[in-house]
Amino acid sequence: MNRASVQSFLYPLLTLASVGLLWIFPDTTILLVPVLGILFAGTLIRLHRWSRWSSMAFVLLIGIPVAGLENSFLFELFIQIGIYAALALGLNIVVGMAGLLDLGYAAFFAIGAYTWAIFGSPQANQFIEGGHFPLPGWPYFYLFMALAVITAALVGVLIGLPALRLRGDYLAIVTLGLGEVVRVLANNLDHPVNITNGPKGISPVERPPVDWILAITDRLGLTLQTNHAVALFFYGLVLVVMLAIVLINRRLDRSRFGRAWVAIREDEIAARSMGIPLLRTKVLAFATGAAFSGVMGAIFSAKQLFVSPESFTLLQSITILAMVILGGMGSIQGALLGAAAVTLLNIEVLKSLSEGLNHLRQTGFVLDLGFIKYNFANLSSQLEPAKYERMIFGLIMVLMMIFRPAGLIPETRHKLELEARRKGKAS
Amino acid sequence: MSLVIRDITKRFGGLVAVDGVNLEVQRGEIFSVIGPNGAGKTSLFNVLTGVYRPDCGTITWEGRRISRLAPESIARRGVARTFQNIRLFGAMTVFENVLVAQHSHASYSYLDAMFRTRRFHRQEHRIARKVMDLLDYFGFAEKAEELARNLPYGDQRRLEIARALALEPRLLLLDEPAAGMNPKETDVLRDFIRTIRDDFSLTILLIEHHMNMVMSLSDRVAVLDYGRKIAEGQPAEIRRNPAVIEAYLGASAIGAVTTDA
Repeated sequence: MNRASVQSFLYPLLTLASVGLLWIFPDTTILLVPVLGILFAGTLIRLHRWSRWSSMAFVLLIGIPVAGLENSFLFELFIQIGIYAALALGLNIVVGMAGLLDLGYAAFFAIGAYTWAIFGSPQANQFIEGGHFPLPGWPYFYLFMALAVITAALVGVLIGLPALRLRGDYLAIVTLGLGEVVRVLANNLDHPVNITNGPKGISPVERPPVDWILAITDRLGLTLQTNHAVALFFYGLVLVVMLAIVLINRRLDRSRFGRAWVAIREDEIAARSMGIPLLRTKVLAFATGAAFSGVMGAIFSAKQLFVSPESFTLLQSITILAMVILGGMGSIQGALLGAAAVTLLNIEVLKSLSEGLNHLRQTGFVLDLGFIKYNFANLSSQLEPAKYERMIFGLIMVLMMIFRPAGLIPETRHKLELEARRKGKAS
Repeated sequence: MSLVIRDITKRFGGLVAVDGVNLEVQRGEIFSVIGPNGAGKTSLFNVLTGVYRPDCGTITWEGRRISRLAPESIARRGVARTFQNIRLFGAMTVFENVLVAQHSHASYSYLDAMFRTRRFHRQEHRIARKVMDLLDYFGFAEKAEELARNLPYGDQRRLEIARALALEPRLLLLDEPAAGMNPKETDVLRDFIRTIRDDFSLTILLIEHHMNMVMSLSDRVAVLDYGRKIAEGQPAEIRRNPAVIEAYLGASAIGAVTTDA
């Protein structure tokens, strides 16, 4: 038995074990970490096809949903990861592949979010007569998902055409500024015509109906609460959209467009001298990244029921950029891993750590190693890892730059593709 | 006349890098541009390929004006080049480096790529096969999957030529292809350039410092000094031209060289 076979056999067992743990202790949210860790490992190690795909499908279609129905925070966590993963994938095309440093990326997320929020809430009545709004979730939400893609992509082209004539630091500054322009517009377009409702934000945003999920589960003999059905719905929606984005990203990467992006990143002059139209290729990267971001914006607004300029700050753009850098610029798996790692760190790991320390403090735990003796009751109440999120984050980034500058999963140019081509089989 | 350069001038501030240069290159010719360091040879190449915009003058290629076009437009008209300081796409494989140059030879759209249509597969197959043939021709088939940056220096130089040929050019500009090569490698390269000229029916414009190579390879030679063309002709004429000797060795050397010859 060769190594791939052994691994293919062990991998599903490990998957089962991690999911099993999550099922037994669904309230221990941190157990999602090994599940996702093993899921990622599956994309990196050599496995037979059946082993990889069946294990992944099991985790995503059965493992997490079953645990999520016990503890809906798991759904929440995964939805967050999924949204950020899509954003990271979009930014990865712009920054990682095409090498265009974009510091205003959250603007496209905002455009997607506001596209649905304005018309999926009573807000649009403020400037369109007739009281047609909010538009009902079915079928309009799905229509507006498509519309959000188009709007974000169009704005991407509009911003890109002037901005992408600049390079390097200049581009970074201009995109930073344009990103802020979008946020400030959202903040101030409440007069003279109230379009965005300014800093108060828009609420409530319509959600697509989930009766059909309840109907299906009823027929299966399960009784589901509506809020569980909603969580399950968004889980499914985010999963589908995220997988679609991964697929599209992969396909573009392995086409003349993806190659042109990387070529431009590697050497602009050489790329142009090989017949690659510079501005068009850059704008295409910008619009593609914007489109990914736009669709998730629409989903985000429906999931949150509430949209305000607060969600689209410079910090948001930088967080997404950090995901791309942490994961590995230009690598699809890297962007996914970066999104999962940063999201989990932000909303789960640091919080658990804070809770753990608090617990030790309150119970007056004494650490005694002989040479060192420490009573946790003396621990300052200021020491709360959740409050040091940004600092810990910065530290991780610095360490990454020193020890793994290419990211956790560095970009690899696909090798198997060529083999497949030689055999005359398209990949 | 295949390539006609008329009164091309390029200034950088007060420095005149290329000063009213006129050249005419015929189809199928190997035409060399030589001159001391800083004579404006590479600047002339950059003007030719659209990297720099000329301050005045025109360039016509196959009867159409190409001066003031963007580099990518000039590339699409069948003008390919290599660079003096190697400019490969380091993080891409050898195969991909050459494939990039086929960009404009595929016409499938963004949506074709996204939905993997038949058009996409057909064209990707076609260009991949062309690239594989080219890699075979260059003896790169075994190294196709290596990253360009990991290739030894000599291979990088040759990969640049392979990449330029993948553009399917009719005019090839080679900027010091023999830089850093020993005499033996230079001889191999010289024969190779002649071979590709014949196999790919190219017109070749060459910048080179290895005089043996220039003299034995070129059909005609032009000499630049301080941005100006000081001589043009067949290699034998250039070798005897006093202005050229002066430019290369300084005025005092003229007597010595001519008596020596």
